[in-house]
Amino acid sequence: MAYNYEQMSWSEVRDLFRKWREDNERRSDDIVLLWKRILEDNASKLGNERHLVLEQVIIAAFDCARLDISEKCIRELSQEFPGSLRVQKYKAMKYEAMGRYDEANDVLDDIISKDETNAAPRKRKIAIFKAKGKTCEAIKELCEYLKKFMSDQEAWHELCSLYLSENEYSKAAFCMEEVLLHNPHSHLIHQRLAEIRYTMGGLENIEIAKSYYSQALKLNSCNLRALYGLYLCCNHIINSKASVNKRKEAQKLASYVLSEIQSKSCVGNEKAKNDKYIGSLENAFGNLDLKSN
Amino acid sequence: MTELLIDPNIRVWVFLPIVVITFLVGIIRHYVSMLISSQKKVELTQIQDSQAMIRARLLRENGKYLTAQSFAMRRHYFNNDETGYFKTQKRPPVSPNSTAMLSDLVKGNFINVLPMVVIGGWINWMFSGFVTTKVPFPLTLRFKPMLQRGVELASLDAAWVSSASWYFLNVFGLRSIYTLVLGENNAADQTQAMQDQMSGAAGAMPQDPKAAFKAEWEALEITEYQNALQNAESELLQMVTSTARQGNSIDH
Repeated sequence: MAYNYEQMSWSEVRDLFRKWREDNERRSDDIVLLWKRILEDNASKLGNERHLVLEQVIIAAFDCARLDISEKCIRELSQEFPGSLRVQKYKAMKYEAMGRYDEANDVLDDIISKDETNAAPRKRKIAIFKAKGKTCEAIKELCEYLKKFMSDQEAWHELCSLYLSENEYSKAAFCMEEVLLHNPHSHLIHQRLAEIRYTMGGLENIEIAKSYYSQALKLNSCNLRALYGLYLCCNHIINSKASVNKRKEAQKLASYVLSEIQSKSCVGNEKAKNDKYIGSLENAFGNLDLKSN
Repeated sequence: MTELLIDPNIRVWVFLPIVVITFLVGIIRHYVSMLISSQKKVELTQIQDSQAMIRARLLRENGKYLTAQSFAMRRHYFNNDETGYFKTQKRPPVSPNSTAMLSDLVKGNFINVLPMVVIGGWINWMFSGFVTTKVPFPLTLRFKPMLQRGVELASLDAAWVSSASWYFLNVFGLRSIYTLVLGENNAADQTQAMQDQMSGAAGAMPQDPKAAFKAEWEALEITEYQNALQNAESELLQMVTSTARQGNSIDH
């Protein structure tokens, strides 16, 4: 997004940074730019918030490969908090950003030996495995980690995507279910779980996928992706050897979902154009069905 | 009853000093407790246990969103007689007289009880026997022992407050001032500390993991699996038809 950088005062930038921090927005480019232009010279005015801002800038600088900025911020922090494990972690991340994974690992091991209840360095170690492309080892480490920190839903989510990249769908489904337990009212998680089940294939899994998709739609009726998914599931069931009753139900659901998709994708008066799209979509669905059969 | 007139010297030398002393003692207590308190060291197994408990609780609460098989699998992980987490994890019961806890106890007493006794005693000795102020509303005789500690005069109106009682009113009433000055969760407030002591050692002591495991095991054991997604499709269709009907009825 374009900000009028020249006219922003340092307090506006501070509020903006705070908002991004609270909403977990990464915005690395903007952060680095605003830091360089405005906030760096006013850092002393930030008070206690300065440390948080510095951390934010460090991460952003890593993202933008501005190691000079991150180096400077880390030095400031470590001068203020000598021996702080939290600052040590950023040093490890610096090595990571430079690609010196062994040194980063040494630093992280050091942190863990000092405070073995600290979850962050363990996660970083897994991230290093991932960065090296050693998915299997990352999975192994992450499983070990999750044995200790069982209710870390972020980690479960990560493990899920790692398993997906290894095509271990049933294990990925397990992880996604764990995330779902933490957050049962998120339609996206329901949708994701349904997608995994659908990909696993087999009539039983498709049925499960169907119910998860329906749940996702119940939670958010505008989820177009879940609508498509539900349509695919229904089509699959219609063409399968399921009982007549089930097929009939699926037929009903499919027709409803299709009409929903049509109404959702029609905007204004461009109906004719959209009809064409829907026609091609239906074609595409047909193709997909052939493949999945 | 004739109106009592109080010497202005009492205001300057008794009323205000008590307020200032209690306030300053609270501030000092806050900073001393910040100095003295040590960060609680948490064991890795403690974290693991608490996270396992959270996970089991979530399973109980939200397990209905899983398939029957997934639910059974997780329950098996926690509750199986031979391999279940709650059955196999043997934690040594927390011994109440471990050194860390003992020092915590001593520190707590040092910060809370000791000054309370000393300052309270000193104030009682130093400022005893003054009538300091009057509450601006009439009170019944029942309030006399509360508001007129140290001044046992049968004929004095209950609205008058004695110096010792004024001290106690300050002790209990300065909480919001402390939050204003020191921020939330400060250690200055004596009443908070007293509540902690009242609610007893049970809250302060880390609970016995074995008992907690057993409770969670029982709760999980009696949880019956219900599938919340069983009727998801039909409910979805119903939702649609009902909204469509509503829409139609608005149209007509």
